[in-house]
Amino acid sequence: MMKRRSMMAGIVGAAATWTLPAHAADEDFGGKDLIAAADKEGALTYYTANFAEVEQEVIKAFNKRFPKIKISMVRAPGGQLITRIKTEAAAGKLAADVVNHSDRGLMLELQDLFLDYTPPNAADYRPDALVHPKFWPGVTLGWCIAYNTQLVKNAPKTWMDLTKDEYKGKQIGQVVGPSGGTTWTRIMFERQVLGEDYWKKQAALGVTLYPSGAPTSDSLVRGEVSIAPLLYNIIYTKIVEGAPAEAIFAPEGVPIVPYADGIPKTSKSPNAAKLFMNWRLSKEGQAFQIEKLGNITSMKEPPMLPKGWDPKVIKVWVPEFKQFESLRDKWMDDWNKTYGYRQ
Amino acid sequence: MTATSAAALSARTESAFATRRLIAPLWVGGLLILLAFLVLYPLSMLVFGALSDSNPVVDGFGTFRPALTHFKEVLVNENVHLAFFNALVACGGGTALAVLIGLFFSWIVVRTNTPFRRFIAGASMIPLFVPPLVAGVAWGILGSPKTGLLNIVLKWMNIDFRFDFYSMWGLIVVFGIYYAPYVYMFTSSALRNMDPSLEEASEVSGASAFTTLFTVTFPLIAPAILAGTLLSFVVMLGIYGVPAALGAPANISVLTTYIFKLTAWSPPLYNTAAAVAILLMIVTAILVWAQQRVLSGKSFATVAGKAFRPRSLNLGPWRWFTFGLALVYLFVVVVLPTLALVIAAFRRFLFFKDFDAIFDSKAYGLWHFQAVFDNPLTMLSIWNTLKVGVITAVLGGILAFAIGYTVNRTNVKGRRAIDLLATIPVAIPGLVIGVAYLWAWIGLPGGLYGTIWILALAFVARFMPDTVKALSTSFLQIHKELEEAAWISGRGILSTIFTIVLPLARPGVVASMTLLFVLAVRELGSSLFLYTSDSTVMAVLLLDYYEGGNTGKTAAFSLVQTAILGGLLGITSWLSRGAAQSAARTG
Repeated sequence: MMKRRSMMAGIVGAAATWTLPAHAADEDFGGKDLIAAADKEGALTYYTANFAEVEQEVIKAFNKRFPKIKISMVRAPGGQLITRIKTEAAAGKLAADVVNHSDRGLMLELQDLFLDYTPPNAADYRPDALVHPKFWPGVTLGWCIAYNTQLVKNAPKTWMDLTKDEYKGKQIGQVVGPSGGTTWTRIMFERQVLGEDYWKKQAALGVTLYPSGAPTSDSLVRGEVSIAPLLYNIIYTKIVEGAPAEAIFAPEGVPIVPYADGIPKTSKSPNAAKLFMNWRLSKEGQAFQIEKLGNITSMKEPPMLPKGWDPKVIKVWVPEFKQFESLRDKWMDDWNKTYGYRQ
Repeated sequence: MTATSAAALSARTESAFATRRLIAPLWVGGLLILLAFLVLYPLSMLVFGALSDSNPVVDGFGTFRPALTHFKEVLVNENVHLAFFNALVACGGGTALAVLIGLFFSWIVVRTNTPFRRFIAGASMIPLFVPPLVAGVAWGILGSPKTGLLNIVLKWMNIDFRFDFYSMWGLIVVFGIYYAPYVYMFTSSALRNMDPSLEEASEVSGASAFTTLFTVTFPLIAPAILAGTLLSFVVMLGIYGVPAALGAPANISVLTTYIFKLTAWSPPLYNTAAAVAILLMIVTAILVWAQQRVLSGKSFATVAGKAFRPRSLNLGPWRWFTFGLALVYLFVVVVLPTLALVIAAFRRFLFFKDFDAIFDSKAYGLWHFQAVFDNPLTMLSIWNTLKVGVITAVLGGILAFAIGYTVNRTNVKGRRAIDLLATIPVAIPGLVIGVAYLWAWIGLPGGLYGTIWILALAFVARFMPDTVKALSTSFLQIHKELEEAAWISGRGILSTIFTIVLPLARPGVVASMTLLFVLAVRELGSSLFLYTSDSTVMAVLLLDYYEGGNTGKTAAFSLVQTAILGGLLGITSWLSRGAAQSAARTG
């Protein structure tokens, strides 16, 4: 599912403390003509399944570069947003100029609604992060292992550490498998990379289950659980603010979740929409999201690396898209049974 | 009276009845058309969804292929059985507790000489302002098993007992204390409007005050108790926030959290969710039918054509005992969760290494409030919410009065159909009806979609049962003889309504509109589908903070919301009190 919930404490002001890199050229964002046309349109409507607060920072950073374009945002959890897009489109009232969504599968079903679009730096992106030429990963999130520094004396260093006896007794918190596409990516990684019996070993320790990343990260900071696999952006800004937490990227791999963003054919401001997409996908836009929001990137050569990310040791793991769709129901059932989660 | 004047009076009355006979079908027809638009049309979308795999707007009605697949799936799914059972236990237990608390409070506030009654009355309504999600979060902060504030205090006191609100008991207690105001609102209004001479007669006949309470007072306000019980039960059945925050960590699923999962699934299973919602509606229909069976054929008119003052029982020294109990309740239900929210709103992070850490002043500040007010959506959402709340309260109040009067004060044909239609929305969970409203109304001409008016329309429809039931209690208590006296004196229907019924029912009308305002401000489910960038409301923003996992901002924003609601409700409470006094004088 595309409904991904995350924790974005303290990100307000991220754009305020961010300075525009001086070296970017108009060509990086589509050229002078596009910028002039976008400025003339002057506004766009942005539909997002990400958090309004986070996306507002993205908008603010974009407006530092392009102050003449006013962006109105509609935010809804993923499932609801898809239903809304479908219904509005069918009624001829789709107001979105740009759609930002975490569920590539669902967006793929809606591809007929979207324009052909290619960013100026298309070649910089990993092919395995793309599901269709119309959709681009404006946002990419990645999984880390987070822990409460006040409670954990011997911090885990690998994914396999989360099956060790020393962490038994409800010390580990987990987001339930059926929570969404982001969690499905993680549990697919666990089974394919860490082994068929990984879930069984971990479930045997006694794990506290949470419906989404938000209460999991909240419980981690509060000390209700000590360790939790989390999307890095959920915990990153809390760590920056001084929460008693730390996060590591494990050497077995970092499962990443590339979003699928696109421009509807019915866009009333197609130039402003293209410019906004171009900027978010540019090195500048991706660097901002990595540095200030705790995102990862789907670019082959990241413009910058998150703290503690050693490219010689840490590799990203992207699910094979066909398997991502075909294995889901069966494996999710297995996961539910193993962890005793009643779907 | 002379024969001439008697004949004239009779002619006037006959003429009034003739006019009524002419107008009644038009009036009933108008109400039925309006209710069909507000209730039946979206409901038909829901039934369409439950009986097919398609979205009626996207696929069109032409693709409709009736199938019972979703119902079959739901009926054989053992997880649905468990969620259903959990919901019945949590809401049943919660309702029992809510009735106990609500009834006790209305009795001590209205009918005893317990000190500081006005303060108790005002403070005991506070839980009503708190969105369920915030209540769940607050009790999670207080009663989570390892780091809940209550448990930190117990640990500091070297007491081994630990609270665990992530449990079925936690759900029951939180439901009970937060929905007690529903029962209170119904029963206190009924007690206030009750003729004390009946109780006096009981006591003169030798019954004790206690016996009188259970054999006269409570049976006389049975409609209010039953209405409050039914409403709080069905409202609890539809609540998502409390079981999401407290039930989920203990893997306790109820129908609403199950439905939420269905709507959030990839792809969202609205059609299956609609099937579950229809099952919920059947349960509610049975409850409403049972309530009507119990009440049918009984007269509960206690406001008659003579003046009285609500009777106050002198408790003697026991009044301090009731006052003490009230304080304990208020401490548990108001002070503790508010304290938890205040701590969460002002504290940077909610990690407490030990008891002393609670008092570390460096950990407190205004960060979360600054962040909330730095967000341009905050002020926009507050302004929109107030506008939608007022529009909903006014439009919904007028409609509910029209429905309540027609159903309870007339014998026109079709009034039972009106009652049934006005009751249906209570059973439909917000998330599901939200999408039904979207399907139903997005195609309306005139650019309604995308404005706050479509939100207000959805809220009026969604909360009509709550408002109508709250008003019906007032109508049931006004004796027919008062209107009959007005008609005989030559007043028309409208004049009678404005000079007799409305003034007498004014406390109920104000209470209903207040309730509607509060419910509209808190409503999330239908907002989520109908808001746009310009019409965003507080509930949507609150969900965003919660889903962002930011307890601090969630708490800060909910304190802002509570303060706004509290201020506005203070004004309406003052108006209501004035109305009650005026009604007592008029009566």
